[in-house]
Amino acid sequence: MTVPNIVTIRDLTKTYQQGEINVTALNNISLDIEAGEYLTLMGPSGSGKSTLLHIIAGVDRPTSGECRVQGIDVTRLNESDLADWRNQNVGFVFQSFNLIPVLTAFENVELPLLLTRLSRKQRREQVNTALELVGLLDRRHHLPKQLSGGQEQRVAIARAIVTDPALIVADEPTGNLDSASTQEALGILQSLTRTAGKTVIMVTHDPKAAAFGSRSIHLEKGELVNE
Amino acid sequence: MIIATFIAKNALRNKRRAALTILSVAVSCALLVTLLTLQREMTIPPESEAASLRVIARNKVSLAQPLPAKQLAVIDKIPGIVAVSPFSFFGGNFREETVTSFAQFAVDPARFQNIIVEGKIAEGSYDNFIKDRNSCLVGADTLKRYGLKVGDQMRFTGTFYPANLDLRIAAVYQGTVDDRNVFFHHKLLDELLGDPGTVGTWYLRVESADVANDVIARVNKAFENTSAEVRAETERAFQMSFMSMLGNVKVLIGSISTVVVFTLVLVTVSTMSMAIRERFRELAILKALGFRRRELFSFILAESFGLAALGAFVGIGGAWAFWTFLDLQTLTRGFLVYFEVTPRIMATGATVAALLGLFSAIAPSIAVARMSVVKGLKTLD
Ligand SMILES: Nc1ncnc2c1ncn2[C@@H]1O[C@H](COP(=O)(O)OP(=O)(O)O)[C@@H](O)[C@H]1O
Ligand SMILES: [Mg+2]
Repeated sequence: MTVPNIVTIRDLTKTYQQGEINVTALNNISLDIEAGEYLTLMGPSGSGKSTLLHIIAGVDRPTSGECRVQGIDVTRLNESDLADWRNQNVGFVFQSFNLIPVLTAFENVELPLLLTRLSRKQRREQVNTALELVGLLDRRHHLPKQLSGGQEQRVAIARAIVTDPALIVADEPTGNLDSASTQEALGILQSLTRTAGKTVIMVTHDPKAAAFGSRSIHLEKGELVNE
Repeated sequence: MIIATFIAKNALRNKRRAALTILSVAVSCALLVTLLTLQREMTIPPESEAASLRVIARNKVSLAQPLPAKQLAVIDKIPGIVAVSPFSFFGGNFREETVTSFAQFAVDPARFQNIIVEGKIAEGSYDNFIKDRNSCLVGADTLKRYGLKVGDQMRFTGTFYPANLDLRIAAVYQGTVDDRNVFFHHKLLDELLGDPGTVGTWYLRVESADVANDVIARVNKAFENTSAEVRAETERAFQMSFMSMLGNVKVLIGSISTVVVFTLVLVTVSTMSMAIRERFRELAILKALGFRRRELFSFILAESFGLAALGAFVGIGGAWAFWTFLDLQTLTRGFLVYFEVTPRIMATGATVAALLGLFSAIAPSIAVARMSVVKGLKTLD
């Protein structure tokens, strides 16, 4: 049985011009990611993990090379199409949660749905489902500051999955969490790949976190290192 | 949640800053509206041929001091004068009103006819006005405003004099620079006040503009060293004289307002920029979630527009209420009766506020358009 690739990366290079010097963040990377994988990206600080994740998620553009996600070369979409594409296909989880402080948990999760044609009722149902999945339905009217870090991150995960995207990207999602919350968050991400068929790409420093993944790849100085 | 809720929550997230922004817009709008109203009040009546031929003689000491009625015989003999009439400001409140919304003057109807020559009788007859000492001559604007007609009674409660008026409309005039005033018989006023033998001012018309200055000099001279020295001046100069003090204020307020409005633009623009800069990371998140530039623009625009609109509403509404319900007449001893904040002036204020809202959204919108998601995220990550 062959599983289709959700992400196909070929000869991806990203360089930054810093005055006279060229900084190479990614050097000629090729990589395939299968649908349903829980891929962890590891490597020292500055090795290009975030850059790679951003390009796959369509928030950054490479200097050269291609990055296909579900057959679409995201490097060639224009700003506006890329925004639509992100809304429908990618869920983001960040290290610092990045919830909107003036919105309740429910409203934060609802945000990406405001861009869809869903009715108010449909939105409510979808938000409740997502919050239920992360076990925070009873906290839906709380503001971020009324939640613990772990709970905030679970709200962020709910926001990432509420549009039912195929791909979830997470950049050091447990970097600001205690160990119990880390276990919880990673468990949720894992179950998304196992039961909902989502693909998760997660950057992490922590080998214990990487252990939740189905595959781990290492970056060093912008290049993939095989173990 | 709907988009509007999101925008409102964002706008009010820093309540003190929102309040200060609204307040500064409000204050400057109020100032602007006041200035424009002042400007308008000071420029009506405009120069008119008839006005340049009219002279008002008042007590040299102050406007509030009356003049002896017996001066009439002396003025009558002064060459160059076509007509002269007593002219006393009554300052009554119409019906149940608590402010004097238009002026009433006691005149000698027969003499007065030769003074406001540009006024045309639109309804009723001037003769009936002359004949009936309990009647009045009403400006067409006032007639229309209150839906009155010839034959109706107009009741005034005196605020300046301890007397009330009950006047029947005998005639309606129009075509003067100010078709709001009501004129009635000085004899009636004398009677109501128990014949004090005084008038407020003398109102006269001279033969030609050339002799106006000579006539003024003669009138002033005629009462020199009497117990009631007079100060005569053209109608226009007279109107300006009790505002001459305000004249300087006008320039002052003019420059202050310009500076304030200008400062306000800077303040609002920087406040808005600050409000957006603080939220840069959040806006980057919104971008990541799929919000496009134009959606973020409309959020920013709606927020700054909303704050400006709220400020304008408070400021313009406040200025309107203040100038409408303030008892200006008492405050200015009866001579600054009108200070009308017109719809046009309020619209001007609202336009300025709208432009302000628009203007202060420009810089943050450009910054947000330029911002890349990755850079925005890095502001914290
Ligand atoms: N905007 C930028 N300008 C210049 N260099 C950058 C920029 N962003 C990232 N880099 C460089 O690219 C490399 C990879 O960065 P990043 O992907 O953030 O690394 P990681 O996430 O693995 O820590 C680093 O050397 C970093 O200094
Ligand atoms: Mg990183």
